[in-house]
Amino acid sequence: MVDISYPICERILPNGLRVIVSQDRTVPSVTVNLWVKVGSRDEVPGRTGFAHLFEHLMFQGSANVASGEHFSALMAVGGRLNATTWFDRTNYFETVPKGAMELALWLEADRHSRLLEALTQENLDNQRDVVKEEKRQRYDNAPYGHALRDVYATLFPEGHPYHHPTIGSMEDLEAATLEDVHAFYTRHYGPNNSVLTLVGDVSPEEGFAAVEKYFGPLPPSAVPREEGRMPPLPPLAGPVRLERVESVPNDRLYIAFRLPADATPEFHAVGLALDAIGGLSSSRLVEHLVRQDQVVTGLTAHPMGFAGGVSLGLISADVSAGVDPSEVERAICAELERFAETGPTEIELESAISETERAWLSALASHDDRADHISHYAALHDDPAYINTFLNQLRSVSAEHVRAAAARYLTPSSRAVVAYLVAHDDQAEASDAKDASDASDAEMIVEESA
Amino acid sequence: MTAIPPRARMPVPEALARPNVVAPQPYSLPTPTRFRLSNGAKGLAYDLPGQYVLSVRMAIPMPLRVEPREVEGVATIMARTLDEGTARHTSVAFARLLERRGVAIGCGVGDSGLSVELDVAKHNLAYGLDLLRQCLAEPAFPEDEVARQIATRLAEIEQERSVASHRAAAEFAATFFDPDARAARPVGGTADTVAAISREAVVAFHARHVAPAEATVVVAGDLAGLDVVSEVEATLGQWQTPAGYLSPGPWQPTLLAEDRARIVVVDRPGSVQTELMVGAPGPDRHHPKGWAPYPLLGFLVGGSPTARIDTVLREDKGYTYGIRSTFRPRRRGGIFVTAGSVRSEVSSDALRLLLDVLDGGRDGFTSDEVDQAAQFLVLTAPSRYATADTIADEAASLSYDGLDTEFTSRNLGEVARMDADRAGAAYREFVDGRWTVVLVGDAAGFVADVRALGRGDVTVVPN
Repeated sequence: MVDISYPICERILPNGLRVIVSQDRTVPSVTVNLWVKVGSRDEVPGRTGFAHLFEHLMFQGSANVASGEHFSALMAVGGRLNATTWFDRTNYFETVPKGAMELALWLEADRHSRLLEALTQENLDNQRDVVKEEKRQRYDNAPYGHALRDVYATLFPEGHPYHHPTIGSMEDLEAATLEDVHAFYTRHYGPNNSVLTLVGDVSPEEGFAAVEKYFGPLPPSAVPREEGRMPPLPPLAGPVRLERVESVPNDRLYIAFRLPADATPEFHAVGLALDAIGGLSSSRLVEHLVRQDQVVTGLTAHPMGFAGGVSLGLISADVSAGVDPSEVERAICAELERFAETGPTEIELESAISETERAWLSALASHDDRADHISHYAALHDDPAYINTFLNQLRSVSAEHVRAAAARYLTPSSRAVVAYLVAHDDQAEASDAKDASDASDAEMIVEESA
Repeated sequence: MTAIPPRARMPVPEALARPNVVAPQPYSLPTPTRFRLSNGAKGLAYDLPGQYVLSVRMAIPMPLRVEPREVEGVATIMARTLDEGTARHTSVAFARLLERRGVAIGCGVGDSGLSVELDVAKHNLAYGLDLLRQCLAEPAFPEDEVARQIATRLAEIEQERSVASHRAAAEFAATFFDPDARAARPVGGTADTVAAISREAVVAFHARHVAPAEATVVVAGDLAGLDVVSEVEATLGQWQTPAGYLSPGPWQPTLLAEDRARIVVVDRPGSVQTELMVGAPGPDRHHPKGWAPYPLLGFLVGGSPTARIDTVLREDKGYTYGIRSTFRPRRRGGIFVTAGSVRSEVSSDALRLLLDVLDGGRDGFTSDEVDQAAQFLVLTAPSRYATADTIADEAASLSYDGLDTEFTSRNLGEVARMDADRAGAAYREFVDGRWTVVLVGDAAGFVADVRALGRGDVTVVPN
């Protein structure tokens, strides 16, 4: 057992920017990590994909920075940088030698409040094209590429903020005007909707002073995200399923559940349940379906934590050649039912906790990842010290707690199944979703395949 | 469908002056403690304060050409079955022993040998090392586990075939290397050779080719209070080289195909993108004129959105999400490879522009370009090598070349002194305009245009 206590110092600037400094002098570099509380969940119908498009546009220059210069200026002084977008947020980050920290803050501050001066139709058109290629590469031209999109759409109701994927709709992006993107930025970007974390070779005093210098003068220009806008979403009332018959190498089942929101005792408990059921190499489903019966060649189970009242639990199974996928699905459902009755064994719980412990410590090993975790829990859960307390929270979860969480959240009757099935020669490729003979208990969703 | 209502912006004050950057101190990678185990293996221990998860790596050299031709992939199946049961524990029991203490073991085969990884919290080091020793020294290779790994590999072959980047890499290897070279075929074997693997073949392969005699063990992490050398000796040091072990001997150069300068199109009707892979011979780390120019050249040609390739293909044309170049050293010789995907309609224009950028490097690079790339590589090193796993991976991978992280530090020093003349000459040494090109996509849409480019013979093959 390792007890960790990374230093966490916090200050909120008068303009609302939440600043956290965690000093670590083992390496002479500093990570600047900025979380903006805007993600695909904040998009309105007809304007999906905007949060992610913005992440791209943020590299195309701002009032005092030329297009592409954010990359080139930081790389030339030893910076590594990128940005990502997800349902709940957009993050921007760079790790730089200590002596370049102020330049990084200056560049971030410029695009955080002075982007629109440089946002032109030409930049918009170019990055729209780049995003389309990103979508084609990651989703359209990859086997099972649309599976997660299908999972979100099947598990979360139409109109729910997690119903559509972060990449969004290309039609929406195509329709975006310069005024639309200006409005999006004006609403969501500003110090009062963001968290900035510094990790590395910097004292709290130095860090706060530098952030104050460059971000302090910025006006609180954003409309901060309203907390509590997304009420909890209970488990599905009945099973739902979607089948796609496509040119995929093997049948694959995605079995998804609505889980409680991230960073709650309930979420920890159901996460440990998923590990014990299918997330470990020694877990029940791997032992029975992969090792013993060999009806599945690979199986994973893991929670995806979201902040907005609901998270996602996902079991995926690659079905062995010649095996009926409905047989695999029945076996998984039977195991879920057994687990909900008996809960984890002592060894299963110990294993799930130990594996999570190692993964958590590894995830905090680098300045960049540690800073990202600090920003994450500060921005979405109001808890910047979460990196230090999570393991103790996890260790306090009991076997009965895990069983009860599984009984509530991981029951077959609340599953959403997305099945990708191999198209055989007599079937049209990318056909419509088809009826499932073995899923008489499930409501069918019929959608056009992409 | 409503757009977000427009909203007045608050006035933003002028920015402060752009701050100056203070140059950092020179940097070297951490210095290891070097030791040797009683069984002959070399050891390296890196003390990295604050790295609570220790990374242990073992590199066991083994050229893949020692695999019998009819059961290629046997090394991969062997590696994947190492932790699926030992003389003392069944597969399931072993997995439980690992996971109860949060110990992660992974074994894999590349073209240099067997690479073994152990990640373990500091207080479990001795426990993890002993389990690792059991995997390597007394694997049981249970019949059903071997069969399962074969079935899994067969499914994986189909999955790889369906992923455009994998498919491109496989076709590239088949085109670039001499057909008799092991490197021309997949590391993990093909469907017919994998299906022919038996438990006996796995056991025999392990007995002949997996031993500590020429291996290197690396331990990196927060080692305060640990006697690492004793702990490694008490565990991995007790693994003995079996009598039938065949030493790999010196590395041999890999023969290249005489007709490698040509274009192969893998036809995938309906693809919305075309995967491009373009390559030429490159150097290895022992290149007589030095390895230092090559990571720099890979970076400035295709290492970022502001590198030469993406400046044209991504930021100007919007054809791609990103295309990357790298000089990939092999043990003798190497490959300069560039890969990425573009939308189908522009395949031939993208290839034309890409080859122009790659060939254009023969005219040299500006001092600014070279300085910026050098600064990036040198100044990012402290944070790139900040964690236990990155240091351990670097040391283990260099051990196949008889080097360790001292090479990395020395190389960074040379990169810092790089000038445009040396970089240009190093590029011209390998880039002569003869490219092996693989395109994976909907051939009907672009193959005529690609032929019309006149950049080499074009062959279309099925997916």
